[in-house]
Amino acid sequence: MKRRDLLKTGLYGIGIGATGLARMPALFAQTAQALAGRPAGSPRILVVLELSGGNDGLNTLVPYGDDAYYRQRPRIGIRASNVRKIDDHFGFSSGMAGFERLYKDGKLAVVHGCGYANPSLSHFTSMAYWHTAAPNRGDEFGWAGRTADAIAPKAPPNFLVNIDSRQSLAVRSRLHTPLVFDDPRKFAREGFYQERGIFAQDVDTGSVSNPSQRFLLDVARSAKSASATVKEAWAKYKSPVDYGINSLDLPKVVSLIDAGMPTRLYYVAYRNNAFDTHVFQGDLHQRLLTYTSDAVAAFLVDLERIGRADDVALMIFSEFGRRVPENTSLGTDHGTANLMFAAGKKVKGGHYGQVPSLTRLDEGDNLIHTTDFRQVYATMISGWLGFKDTASILNGSFQTFEMFS
Amino acid sequence: MLRLLNLAVALALVPAAFAQTAGPGAWQNDLTPIARSDWNYDFAAHLLERAGFGGTPEQIQALARLTPAEAVRQLVYFQKIENNLPAFDHSGVHDPGLEPFPESRPAVTKLAKEKGEALGIKVKAGGDRPLQPVVNKFFYWLRASVLETQRVSYWWANRMVGTQHPLEEKMALFWHGHFAVNENKVRDYRKMLGQLELFHKHGTGNFRELMIAEAKSPAMLSFLDAGVNVKGAPNENFAREIMELFTMGVGNYTEKDIREAARAFTGWNYVDLKFVVNEEQHDDGPKTFLGKTGNFDGVQIIDIILQQPVTARYIAGKIYRYFVRQDPSPELQEKLAGVLRSANYNLSPLLEAIFLSRDFYSPTSVGTQIKSPVQLAVSTFRKMGLKTAPGVPDFNVATGTLGQRLFSPPTVAGWSGGRSWITPGLLLERGNFARDILFPDINFIPPDRANPSADVRIVADKIRAGLDISTATMPERGSEGGLAESNMLADRDEDFNTRYGSFRGWQMALERVKPIPRHTADVDLSRMVTDAGLKNTTEVVDYFIRRFMRVPPVNEKRQELVKFLNGEIGTTDVAAAKTYMEDALRLLLHLIMSEPEYQLS
Repeated sequence: MKRRDLLKTGLYGIGIGATGLARMPALFAQTAQALAGRPAGSPRILVVLELSGGNDGLNTLVPYGDDAYYRQRPRIGIRASNVRKIDDHFGFSSGMAGFERLYKDGKLAVVHGCGYANPSLSHFTSMAYWHTAAPNRGDEFGWAGRTADAIAPKAPPNFLVNIDSRQSLAVRSRLHTPLVFDDPRKFAREGFYQERGIFAQDVDTGSVSNPSQRFLLDVARSAKSASATVKEAWAKYKSPVDYGINSLDLPKVVSLIDAGMPTRLYYVAYRNNAFDTHVFQGDLHQRLLTYTSDAVAAFLVDLERIGRADDVALMIFSEFGRRVPENTSLGTDHGTANLMFAAGKKVKGGHYGQVPSLTRLDEGDNLIHTTDFRQVYATMISGWLGFKDTASILNGSFQTFEMFS
Repeated sequence: MLRLLNLAVALALVPAAFAQTAGPGAWQNDLTPIARSDWNYDFAAHLLERAGFGGTPEQIQALARLTPAEAVRQLVYFQKIENNLPAFDHSGVHDPGLEPFPESRPAVTKLAKEKGEALGIKVKAGGDRPLQPVVNKFFYWLRASVLETQRVSYWWANRMVGTQHPLEEKMALFWHGHFAVNENKVRDYRKMLGQLELFHKHGTGNFRELMIAEAKSPAMLSFLDAGVNVKGAPNENFAREIMELFTMGVGNYTEKDIREAARAFTGWNYVDLKFVVNEEQHDDGPKTFLGKTGNFDGVQIIDIILQQPVTARYIAGKIYRYFVRQDPSPELQEKLAGVLRSANYNLSPLLEAIFLSRDFYSPTSVGTQIKSPVQLAVSTFRKMGLKTAPGVPDFNVATGTLGQRLFSPPTVAGWSGGRSWITPGLLLERGNFARDILFPDINFIPPDRANPSADVRIVADKIRAGLDISTATMPERGSEGGLAESNMLADRDEDFNTRYGSFRGWQMALERVKPIPRHTADVDLSRMVTDAGLKNTTEVVDYFIRRFMRVPPVNEKRQELVKFLNGEIGTTDVAAAKTYMEDALRLLLHLIMSEPEYQLS
């Protein structure tokens, strides 16, 4: 029996009785168990949330206790009376009730001053550096893809899931074919009855020399093996949790976790350069943050609901922060160092890293980074996912944080 | 006669002399024109596929009969060929009161409160929600512009399908991805249409003229916030993207160059659809840019950029990657840049050189490109012999689902292209798209008529049921974890109701924007098979593969397809099945279009 067939059978709930399970080899039995909604050995899962466009960290977690902040941002600086204070220095933007609650519950870690030397102010270049964890250099493969290669060199299917309309460079892998889809309801071959035989057929690609053709045939195979699982998981998913206006694909992640997908790395994004707030950023930025905060807080509640909160950590980043001084258009231009966040039941909440100075800026009026963002990647790979040799993935050793309980 | 000709075409094509295996491997990177003696049907098909969106066997045969130089020139210098395409038919949704359109709903209500009027609508003299008509108008225009943009998009799709100048449209699509402006931010279909007209006008003309026209276009100025780039406080967005994305590529200038260039563009703005320079906001002082100093304005900055050797390399390389393949060698890219430079940035000689080169016909180029979603849709229609894009399935929804909605590029960098078009999910969607053409969904609901947003629909139902505005607009969800902050905050202003405005604006837009025609694809595959004089099922499968694919499926798949067709029509004899084979032929074509190889151009 092929593994794929087993997955199907398990999902449709037919053909696997107690005797069926008893006769199966251990590996298969475990998979079937996972499909029944119970984790097999509770593997830890990392979810990465990308805030594309360059989130303004200073107006996200507002340093309301620092006069320099208001000097730099006389018009768009958020008044102390308007922030959700978490201590006598910092407070979240007014719509971020979710983050405030997570912080106060000790489930939200804030890492300050994340960036890299010689920062690029280009969205695409900087994002590529973050995707590859290779600043000022780049890499053919993404950091999440390389992490998958290192942890699971045998490349079991669906280890790496990217929910988006196109694949992120971050998940590009030498060994794995990441599962990429957008709408789970549509992630299916819509064929007619008569066509099933042909659609089910696997072709021998041994003689194919055209590299694009070979690529397409590989993707087709991956699509065939995963689409039924994803569609079924989403159809079964019903949650009373309110994710707000933009759920950032996090309910899809929960549906797959709940369905027992063997995925260890999920990658989702607030898409389309949304955080690129050059002009009149006030209302717009507040809205983006509210949506993000709502979705993240709901995600944790939802994980608790399915009993998997202990197994999942979420990491949030953006390709850069924004210029410290506001611009004349009531917005902010591209900047450098920024906040990163980690959220989860097992995350030890609080501040990490050194808060960058708002008075000692670089020559472009930007923050000078105090934390190499790869330290946070290394923390996730080693501290959370449990793979210790992070240097082989990140091409260098980076000091990690004690971030998990 | 026609029948005989088609038969000849069909028979000439059947032997498996596919382009993929033709042409010496030594042609890679060779810009020598392809010889007349090497010219054949497959190369002509490849040319039409890339320089346009493919075509019918008759159209390909017509090119194959020419010399390669004639065929290429016919495509590149298309101006002499008559092309009767209708102008865009405006619904008439815009009015002068909408200008200048404020940047947000809060800005509109603030303006209305201060001035007693906004968007051409006066604040109500009394009664409930005095700002409601203003807010309705605000949402009306947002919605109307979105809907009218969908009509512009259909108009363009119909041009791509019906044009006699395929390269004009293919280049317009290239420039749309290059100068990638999104209606979502511009919020004015007229500006989007104006930008498309520039692509049609200058697309194969002169790059300098196009670049300057773009820099002065209201669409681009609005998209890159140029309007707020003023003396003393330059906004860098516009200058940065001009260098990084439109001309030189990252790494060829400093942050200081960006700041200096931004100063030169200060004061550039638009009023409605007109470009203006606000002299008092323009910084006329000396700037030092890429090593030169002077009191430069925007056009002079562009000229300095065009003098940089890297600019021709960047543009020529990008055009090459769009038409040929992803990885030109640096030497080849420099040679192509030389062609562009010596033609003073006239684009036609570069296009001619590319399409005529042996490199273009080498095995590394032929059949290795992954079609973009728009390319996939348009070439599918053209290969079927359609004259316009069908209304079912919806062109915008279909291409958008596949990752390339016109006037909606994902970022200012446009679409990444290449392998990024394909994910497991999208590969399946491509097959589903083919099915929706061949077997139109009987439950199809026009997306420009039905509201996709549940929020608005719920409000509409409640208002019709006689509920008051406050009750009708109360958000519905809630429960575990409480109501999300965004839903609680949504809107409780006494002067107006945003949710109601959103519903009412949608309704008003629906009344005024003309509907998109919803005909299904006019396909008659039985007739196609009969006209081609095909005798048995093997010939049919081979004909379909030849007609629709540039790279055939692996052989075992081909045999399966023959078996499938035999099973469906109950015979191998086409004549016997003539009266009932249409459904089977459509299934066959759906299977072919679902093959991974169908995605290749």
